[in-house]
Parts: sequence; structure tokens; C-alpha cells
Amino acid sequence: MKNLRHIAYPFIIALAVFFPFYTGPYLQHTATTILSYLTLALSWDMLLRTGQISFGIAGFFGLGGYAAALTHLNWGANPFLSIFFGGLFAFLIAFLLGLLVLHLRGLYFAIVTLALAEIFRVIVRNLHSLTGGPEGSVLPSAIFGGDPPKIYWLVLTLTIITVMVSEIFQKTRIYFATTSIRNDELVAKSSGIDIFKYLVFVFAITSAIQGMIGSSYAHQYAFVTPEESFHIHFTLLPIAMCLLGGMYTTMGPVVGALVLGGIADYLKLLLPYGHLLVYGIVVVIVILFVPRGIVGTVSERLERGK
Amino acid sequence: MGGVILAFWKPFVLIEGVQVAGLYAAIALPMALILGIVGIINLAHGDFMMLGAYLAYWFTVYTKTDPLVAIVPASLALFLIGMATYRSTIKYMHGAPELTQLLLTFGIAIVLQQLANLLWTSHPVSVHVGYASASATIGSFTFGTYAFVYVAAAIIFFIGLFHFLRGTRIGKAALATGQNPTGAKLVGINIDRIYLLIFSISIALVGAMSVLFLTRHSIFPHVGGIFTLKSFCLAAMAGLGNLTGILWASLILGLSENFVKSFIGYAGWADIIFFVLIIVVIMVGSYRRRVR
Repeated sequence: MKNLRHIAYPFIIALAVFFPFYTGPYLQHTATTILSYLTLALSWDMLLRTGQISFGIAGFFGLGGYAAALTHLNWGANPFLSIFFGGLFAFLIAFLLGLLVLHLRGLYFAIVTLALAEIFRVIVRNLHSLTGGPEGSVLPSAIFGGDPPKIYWLVLTLTIITVMVSEIFQKTRIYFATTSIRNDELVAKSSGIDIFKYLVFVFAITSAIQGMIGSSYAHQYAFVTPEESFHIHFTLLPIAMCLLGGMYTTMGPVVGALVLGGIADYLKLLLPYGHLLVYGIVVVIVILFVPRGIVGTVSERLERGK
Repeated sequence: MGGVILAFWKPFVLIEGVQVAGLYAAIALPMALILGIVGIINLAHGDFMMLGAYLAYWFTVYTKTDPLVAIVPASLALFLIGMATYRSTIKYMHGAPELTQLLLTFGIAIVLQQLANLLWTSHPVSVHVGYASASATIGSFTFGTYAFVYVAAAIIFFIGLFHFLRGTRIGKAALATGQNPTGAKLVGINIDRIYLLIFSISIALVGAMSVLFLTRHSIFPHVGGIFTLKSFCLAAMAGLGNLTGILWASLILGLSENFVKSFIGYAGWADIIFFVLIIVVIMVGSYRRRVR
């Protein structure tokens, strides 16, 4: 099994890297979108492993997008630098907010993050002179002149980095810390784990990832608006993907994103105004009937088969 | 004291603040009821109101009656919808981790929003009724009076719920269930029936409220989301499940929002007041725990 992985991983990565060489622009564009959601789903799961549930993906996604777009517009920052800055900005905001709101857990934290997208939207809409207000801001041109393969590789880089960070989280002491916080906070605390430090750290890192994906998205479409950049689907889709794939693993969100992302493309054509309905239904059904997701259920079956 | 100063300095803030507070309280009371007795945080709360408002809009357009007539069918319909929702989903969430409850009701919220999006498109709709712009004049100062209907609704809801929970047999059983489900079960209360009833009644109250909401506001599929957040803010300020506290909390929220709105050029910022209040509540709470 382990040997198989050593062959499978480089093969999958090679397949992903050379993807633009054997596909057209439409598929490349779709793949870029799926990778963006995949990365968001993975980052969401990384925080979920601590037992904290965040509904604020769209908030940090939009915040990163705005930070990148505005540094590019106003300071003429290089697009790559501005994407990095978008992540850094999301990191800082999440860090400062985390210091406040991570004192409370579960319910309160979840609702506060649910409000974040709304709050960031209100702030961005009201800072007319800086952000362009309700109309948003338009960038002079898309990154790489809108060349699909290059944008694909940019997002793929972010995705691979996120997968690696997620694996590092799973293989180092962070894994034990987060898992024990999730299972029993009191025991974790009495074992000498500085819960608060880990929570703030993971919250800031995952928000930075969401901010960077938001930045690349803003550069890809060359505009940011309060309505589009903080849209609920940037929260909903990753959550649905992660739940479908299975929580608390790296594999889960990846599988969920590939499955649901593939279906989503058809749905958009089929139901242009209500395709998000399907994601809502996926969330409800998975929670009720397949709480462990695809990966969890399949690996359980395999274990039992042995 | 503060009220007197406000009444002379900015009378609009006082009147509109109280009216909005009534609206918030009437929507938050059912949420607090569900929180206190069923023990579920319902992230689809505001979306049920949105659904009720659309159903009422439908009813009004088809029957060409006064929108207020729709209170009866809307609350009845939402009672049944609440029942169906509880039976098919919420029921299985007892004893499930908080996280799962949150995700489930989030999923329900999205389903309701997108269903409305499919059925009625995202274009805002509204009904116009003459009496909604009724006004009164005191001295040189004129203000709208119709919105006091929200204050009336909040007071009726509050008194009604109070008598229901303290005065009736089934209300007492519900209160007992909220305090200690296992104990309630042991003394022979059918707690599943209680949960079903309380959830459905709460959703029906939201349905009645949605009609009043429709008479003064235009509605669109995402109109409910912010009310879920604000209702939760009020429930958190009041202490989860505390009905009396909701009234005070909604006064604070309503007045401070209108206070901010009264400064020209800052109206847009009123929407973040509830968030600031949540943060303050959290900080005070964590400070208290540390002191203890």
C-alpha cells in the first residue's frame, strides 16, 4: 500500500501539472475553478480538525481579493507580490480577530464567522475612497493577460502548497494538538497543550490560504465588488465539497471537490439561477445519511473487508 | 434618563429605534424559544421568515386581499413547514455534536434561500398598503406610526409565550423539558412531542411576523440571513434561552443602530453594530469567566 502511494502521488501531480497540454481553454478554466474551491475546502477542513467550524470562508476570500486588487491598483505592486499580500492581510486580520473571538468556541465562534462576510462587505462598501464603494474596483488587466494555462498553474501551485501544509498539519505534533482539542478540550488542556495558541495559529494560516485564493481569483477576473467577492457560494461550495468527501483528512476535501466540482459544471448549465440549491441539499443529506463522507465510508468498508 | 435626553436631542432615533427593536424582538423571541427548549441553534431562522413573506406575497397577489389577511395562512403554512422540517431533519440532531447541528441548519438555510431564488427569482418584490405610511404629528415633528405594529407584535408574542410557558400544562412540560430533558422524560413527558410542538410553534410565529415584515419591506431570497445573525446576537446578549432579556437586548440594538444612522454619511455603518455587540458580549463573557 505504501509503495503504491509513492508511485501514485508523483503520477497524480504530473497529471495535474501537464493538464493544460492536452486540454482546451474551457477545461483549463473549469479545472482552475475546481482547484480554487478544492483549496478553500481543504483550508476549511484544516480548521475543522480543531473542532472549530468557520462560516467565514467568503469573508477572508473577499478580503484577500480586495487587498490584492487594491495594492496592485494603488501601489502598482507586482501581481504575485499582491497575491502574497492578500494572503498576509487575511492572516493579520484573522490573527487579530482570532485573539478576540477564539475565546469562545463552537456555537459562538461559528456565528461570528458567519457574520464576517457580511461585516467585511459592509466595511468595503462604506470605504468609498479606498475600495470604490458598491461598484467595486476594476483592474487594468487580468493576470498573465488572462492566459488560461498560466492561471491554472498559478492556482495549482497554491493548491499543492495547501495540500502540503495540510499534510504537515497531519503528520506533526499539530495533528495531536488539534485532534485532542477536538475530542476533549479539558484533557488537551491538562496535558499541557496551549489550546489558544494552536487555535489562533490554525485560524490565521487557513484564513491566509483563503485570502490568497481570493487574491488569485480577483486577479483572474480583474475586478472586485462587495457583492461578488464576498458571495455566499465561496462559503457554501467548499463546505459541501468537504462534507461530501469526508472531514478531518486531506483526501476528503480533495475527492469531494473533484466529484462535486465536476457535477457543478453541468448543474450551472442546467439550473443557471438555482444551482446552489443542490449544494444545500448535498449538505443536508450528507449530514443526515453519510456523516463520514465518501472517503470515510469507503475506507471504513475497506477496513471491514480485510 | 438616557431616553429623556434622546427624546429631546434626536426624537427620530428614539421612535424608530423602538420600532425596529420591536421588529428584532418579535423575530428573535421564537429563536430564543427554540434555543431554550429544543436546544438547537437554527441558522435557517431568518430564511423561514423570508419563506413566510413570499408565501404571504403569493397569497395576497392571488386573492387580492389585504396583506394582513395572510397572517392566518402564512403562520399555518409555516407551522406545517416547521413540523415537516423537524420531523425530517432536526429530530435526528439531538445528542449530535453542536458542529453537526450548525452545518445541518446552515444547509437548510441555503436550501430555503435557493428554493426562493428558483421560485421567485432574486428580483425584490413588495406589496403596497396605504396604512403602512400612516403618520402622527407632535408639535413640529412628524413620524410614522404603522411600525409600532412591530412593538405590539413583540409584546403580544412575549406575553403570549410567558402565559403559555407558565400557565398551561403543556407549556410547563415544555419548560421542564428545556431545563432537563432526561428528568422530563422520567416523569412521563413525551419530549419528542414537545420538541416538535415548540419548533413548529416558533416557526409559525416567525410566519406571522413575516407578514408584518412584508407590509413595510421589500423581500428577496437573501433578506432573512441578516435577521438570523441579529436574532442570534440578541439571544447571545440576553443569555441563551432567556426571553425577557431579548426585549432589552433588542432595544439596545435598535436604538444604537438608529443612533448611528442619524449621522449623515454614516448610515451604512449601522449594519455592523450587531457584530460589535456580539464581540462585546463575548469579551465581557470571557472576562467574567476569567475573574471567576
